[in-house]
Amino acid sequence: MKFTEFLKDKMLQIILIIFGLITIEIFLLAYHIGNFIKIYIPSIIIILYSITIIVEYLIKKQFYKNTTNLLNELEDKYLITEIIKTPNFTEGKKLIEILEQTNKSMIEKVNQYKYAQEDYKEYIELWIHEIKIPIATSKMIIENNKNQATKSIDEELNKVENYIEQALYYARSNTVEKDYYIKKSNLKEIVNESILKNKTTLIQEKILINTHDLNINVSTDSKWIVFILNQIIQNSVKYRKKEEQSEIEIYAKKAKENVTLYIKDNGIGIKKGEISRIFEKGFTGTNGRTASKKSTGIGLYLCKKLCDKLGIGIEINSIENKETEVKLIFPNGSHVDIK
Amino acid sequence: MQKILMLEDDEKLRNELEIFLNNNGYETQSLKKFDNPIQDILTINPDLILLDINLPGADGQYICKEIRKQSNLPIIIITSRDNEIDELLSINYGADHYITKPFNIQILLAKISSLLKRSNMGSNQEKIDCKEFILNIAKNTIEKDQKEIELTRNEFKILKYLAERRNKIVSREEIMEHLWESESFIDDNTLTVNITRLRNKLEELEIKELLVTKRGQGYILI
Repeated sequence: MKFTEFLKDKMLQIILIIFGLITIEIFLLAYHIGNFIKIYIPSIIIILYSITIIVEYLIKKQFYKNTTNLLNELEDKYLITEIIKTPNFTEGKKLIEILEQTNKSMIEKVNQYKYAQEDYKEYIELWIHEIKIPIATSKMIIENNKNQATKSIDEELNKVENYIEQALYYARSNTVEKDYYIKKSNLKEIVNESILKNKTTLIQEKILINTHDLNINVSTDSKWIVFILNQIIQNSVKYRKKEEQSEIEIYAKKAKENVTLYIKDNGIGIKKGEISRIFEKGFTGTNGRTASKKSTGIGLYLCKKLCDKLGIGIEINSIENKETEVKLIFPNGSHVDIK
Repeated sequence: MQKILMLEDDEKLRNELEIFLNNNGYETQSLKKFDNPIQDILTINPDLILLDINLPGADGQYICKEIRKQSNLPIIIITSRDNEIDELLSINYGADHYITKPFNIQILLAKISSLLKRSNMGSNQEKIDCKEFILNIAKNTIEKDQKEIELTRNEFKILKYLAERRNKIVSREEIMEHLWESESFIDDNTLTVNITRLRNKLEELEIKELLVTKRGQGYILI
């Protein structure tokens, strides 16, 4: 707040006071009062008025400066009403009152959406639990009636299962509250579980699996990691080179501060210019748009989101037409930075 | 025959599971009402329980806890609740395994058989008599007329798998899936090598002709 701006707001007062002074002077002249009084009365009025204006300016300037500073430092600006000091002038008090009321109504509105989303998520989770039962039953029927047709249905059911899993984790990834359970988990068990999940495809497509150096413990939610690995392995299968023996190598390296899990394949790789965008939602890239491989652009987006939530790093390196390497970086120790 | 008791409210799934387990040599029984499950289970006295968590009028985790107070019988929880907290809770209440729907049926079968094996440790057979030869499970060997030949882990698994499905054609994929389940992720070529080696060892015992290759279909132990 500049002083000139402040004066501009006080313009009416100043004009009226000048007008008042002029009338006083005219009266004093008309009644032939001594020169001393003629000068003294207007000077005292001007001095006193100037003091009140300056004091008022300083108080207001201080208040607005403090408020602006606080606002700049705050990440969540709407919390300003919680930390601001109530000023001792009415205008400021009124301002804070208004802020508090708008905040309150905004928070109510936000909560409304929060509950609606929470409700929706709960429904999705329930729905997913329900739909798993007919899938399990269908799989049992297939197992009891093995033939070419049911085998083919089984493959399709596996895809359905994967889409359902994606939906479940998508719902989970969008909520603020803790939905995971961190405990000490063995990387070998996690990796084996995700390989077994894809066993039918991996065997059918004759993909070599090479796992080594996996007997390392990390602190994480193993179910989430199995899901993430599942997406990565499925990508490796989807984007393999048809003309070559495909191989997926999975291993881990322990460093001082973290454990890195490597998932490496010798598939068609990713174009250099596209690597930076693969975690974007809905990004399919050149690979994902070829007719045979319909990509939704959700898999890796979800991986990244879940990794962020769990405090795990995820990186992808690739050489086009040669290989793709996914790194999952688990921070060491029990201290995990959870968002 | 060992008896498996199922507590599962989805009738179709229960029926299919029963067919499957019967095909694999287990006797099955199901609880259809869940008014007094704990008493019912103890009266039936099965060798193993397959337990769902969401049951009409009863809670699987509670049943598991109550059964554990009175009995040591193996419990496998089969549920569609897929989160670590439920799993941890169930294991803490004394469940031996926690499997989520839709489950891998072969893994379920493997878990059932290993649990039953462990719970019958005393009477457990260490050897399987296959008429022409004997499989020694404890030592991973094959015996015939005082002769004993050592097999590698994979070779033994293949032979045992074929022996359990005698006179039935077993496809290469099926054998591979079986080996993968015990976390040996072998590929097609390795399987061929394993079979060749196994055949050579069978030859040493002069029973090579038992293992027949069915071109394009798989193998059969006759």
